[in-house]
Amino acid sequence: MRKSDSIIIIGSLMVVFAATLAVVYWPVFTIPNRPSDLWRPLTDLEERGRRLYIANGCTNCHSQYIRPQDWGIGAERISQAGDYYNQRPHLLGSERTGPDLAQEGGEHSDDWHIAHFINPRFTSPRSLMPRFAYEGMDNIKALVAYVQSLGGDDADARMEIQRRFHKEAVAAYERGPDENVKWLHSRVPKTWRAMPSESPATEASVARGEKIYQDFCIGCHGPVGDGNGPAAEHLYPPPLNFTILRRHLVDGKYIGGILYYQIMNGITGTAMPYFKKHLESAKIWDVGNYIMVNFINWRDDQLPTEGIPASYEGKEAAPVSEQPQPGPTEPGRGGAR
Amino acid sequence: MPFWRRKDSAALVFLVSGAVWMVVGTFAGLASAIHLVAPDFFANIAWLQFGRVRAAHTGSVLLGFVTAMLIGGAFYILPRVLGTKLYSEPMGNLAALFFNAGVLIGDVALLGGLSQGREYAEYIWPADVLIVIAFLLLSINFITTIIRREEPLLYVSAWYFVGAIIWTSVVYPVGNVMWHPDTGSQSGIIDAIFLWFYGHNILGLLVTPLAVGIGYYMVPRIARAPLYSQMLGIIGFWTLLAFYTHIGAHHLIQAPIPTWLKTVSVIDSFAMMLPVATVLINWWYTARGRFSKFLVNPAAKFLLVGSIWYAITCVQGPVHSLASVQRVTHFNNWVVGHSHIAVLGFTGFIALAGMYYVLPGITGRRIYSEKLVNVQYWLVLVGLIGFFVVLSAAGLIQGQAWLNGATVYRVIPELKAYMVLRLVSGLPIIAGAIIGLYNVIMTLFRGELIES
Repeated sequence: MRKSDSIIIIGSLMVVFAATLAVVYWPVFTIPNRPSDLWRPLTDLEERGRRLYIANGCTNCHSQYIRPQDWGIGAERISQAGDYYNQRPHLLGSERTGPDLAQEGGEHSDDWHIAHFINPRFTSPRSLMPRFAYEGMDNIKALVAYVQSLGGDDADARMEIQRRFHKEAVAAYERGPDENVKWLHSRVPKTWRAMPSESPATEASVARGEKIYQDFCIGCHGPVGDGNGPAAEHLYPPPLNFTILRRHLVDGKYIGGILYYQIMNGITGTAMPYFKKHLESAKIWDVGNYIMVNFINWRDDQLPTEGIPASYEGKEAAPVSEQPQPGPTEPGRGGAR
Repeated sequence: MPFWRRKDSAALVFLVSGAVWMVVGTFAGLASAIHLVAPDFFANIAWLQFGRVRAAHTGSVLLGFVTAMLIGGAFYILPRVLGTKLYSEPMGNLAALFFNAGVLIGDVALLGGLSQGREYAEYIWPADVLIVIAFLLLSINFITTIIRREEPLLYVSAWYFVGAIIWTSVVYPVGNVMWHPDTGSQSGIIDAIFLWFYGHNILGLLVTPLAVGIGYYMVPRIARAPLYSQMLGIIGFWTLLAFYTHIGAHHLIQAPIPTWLKTVSVIDSFAMMLPVATVLINWWYTARGRFSKFLVNPAAKFLLVGSIWYAITCVQGPVHSLASVQRVTHFNNWVVGHSHIAVLGFTGFIALAGMYYVLPGITGRRIYSEKLVNVQYWLVLVGLIGFFVVLSAAGLIQGQAWLNGATVYRVIPELKAYMVLRLVSGLPIIAGAIIGLYNVIMTLFRGELIES
């Protein structure tokens, strides 16, 4: 062997080994291998779901790490090294064709996930995710269990809320449609109930609302708002039929505030997700107006109000009373702190 | 004499298998692209589901097509620059058998739902074993060929070829964590560091040096000029090795790994411009004033354009390794655009260049149709430019929208047109792959015999 041969063969291999030692093995020995505050082991069912997640290449579209700059899409907790404790393999992912799942556990109800795995377009009409009905219901349930575990203790806390209100929602649904609506109204804070739509239900607003309804709502509530979208057969309690709301107007006239609140926060425990991270305020009013005009056949946006209208409303603004009612607190006293 | 003992038979097997995998791999890419336009097109066909077929696409094109075709070129070129013959043709053919069996088993397993779930290292353990055996056989073959040579000078191409093969013999088993056959992974965040060490080195320490070695052989011969500088080639070799091995962590800039590791990866990503510059300066200076020779020879055209893609890739790469740039470009189609110009543009173009350049020497026949090579060149080039532009634009839209607070779901409808254009851009590339395979097969049987 000539000298130049041994230089490339042995010399270059030594460089490779040195580099491996520096950038691979040095971290192995120096990164603390500890679970984070929210890490927990997976149950057998969740572990089975994780293997299905790997088998189907879900990592190719779903990342599982929240970056510091993800403030807009829910960086309530930026991922930490200990979140991945004991995971073989890691599933950080490298692309977000679909949403990040690091904290997905408990974000949606189990039945939402089942409908979504059977056909993602059922719950999310613009989704690009493949259907997973071919996995069969058993495997889909394992996948759901795994997805609901993502986020560890934080996910469990969210699931706890899901379970609590699921019970309430089922009980209310089983008391009949009118009792169900009464329960739904009762779970909206009082200040939001006797509130009209705070955005005029103009033709433009209703048209914008229709677009949003088709992108977000139609899969469950259906094209005519009767709660019979394609997802409905997989959901319990099933999606609300909007048309019966006409006989449940608050004080015989208000519904806009309730619609807004429930679109904004969802009805956790049922398949109705919250939309406040997807939709800005104006868009939520627009979709509420669309529902009001098309499915309830009622408008509360023109009821007299004390509020100063937004400047763009112009001729469409609701009539504003000359003398506003005094508020509940006297100036200077302050509220209870 | 049986086929596997014949001179250059190993080179031929690798080249033809590469041409076949190019067709398979691009079709897998087409299936993936269809999902992003019409997600119900393959509804409930498990083995064509996006997550599976996408992994089969990357495996087929990266290993099956580009790596195999480059190794085929290296098999032909290595003995010629050493003035000797290959140590063992049967061993070369055996390596080709193991390698292709590995890719085939790996791909079929992925489509069937057997995956290790680590990007670019998805293949299951048995496939990994076959591929590592192939690389060990290649190492023995290449090293022994070098040691037995007559020529005192070891030409740059030989450095790069031998380096690529022996480094990958180390990087592949380490990156695939093959001492854990069931999961093929380490535990937790460490596994991400292992994966991206592998994921980037399979490009940097395998296909890059192979392509560079082929370029170093072809450029002076096509230009009919001596190499501008042997020394630059050697500097490029050592700096490539020193810097490329450290940059894997730039895939994890916003992940919870140590800051020093991120810093090292970004600095070395920029340092990568040095070895790239040595290659490009060396090639382009060698060809200076003689570029017209590159435009009349279809194989050389692939090489020249491959070198331009190399330049674009290796300016873009370091820039988007910066955390401030990654804030926008990470996690979206921008990176997909980058990987396409790296693998298909740079190494793929040079693999095709090498194949068309050496095929007449192997078969004793002229390329069946130079016109079809030109057609393939234009189809792949136009498709790839379309890809690069469309995916970069789509990536910027995604990245900026997310940074603006939009959810992933909200941005999906905005990508519709881009996903359609991406699908359309892929079609000429597939057509090019099919035409290429046809041309190779016709050359083997119908090519005009060269008078010796």
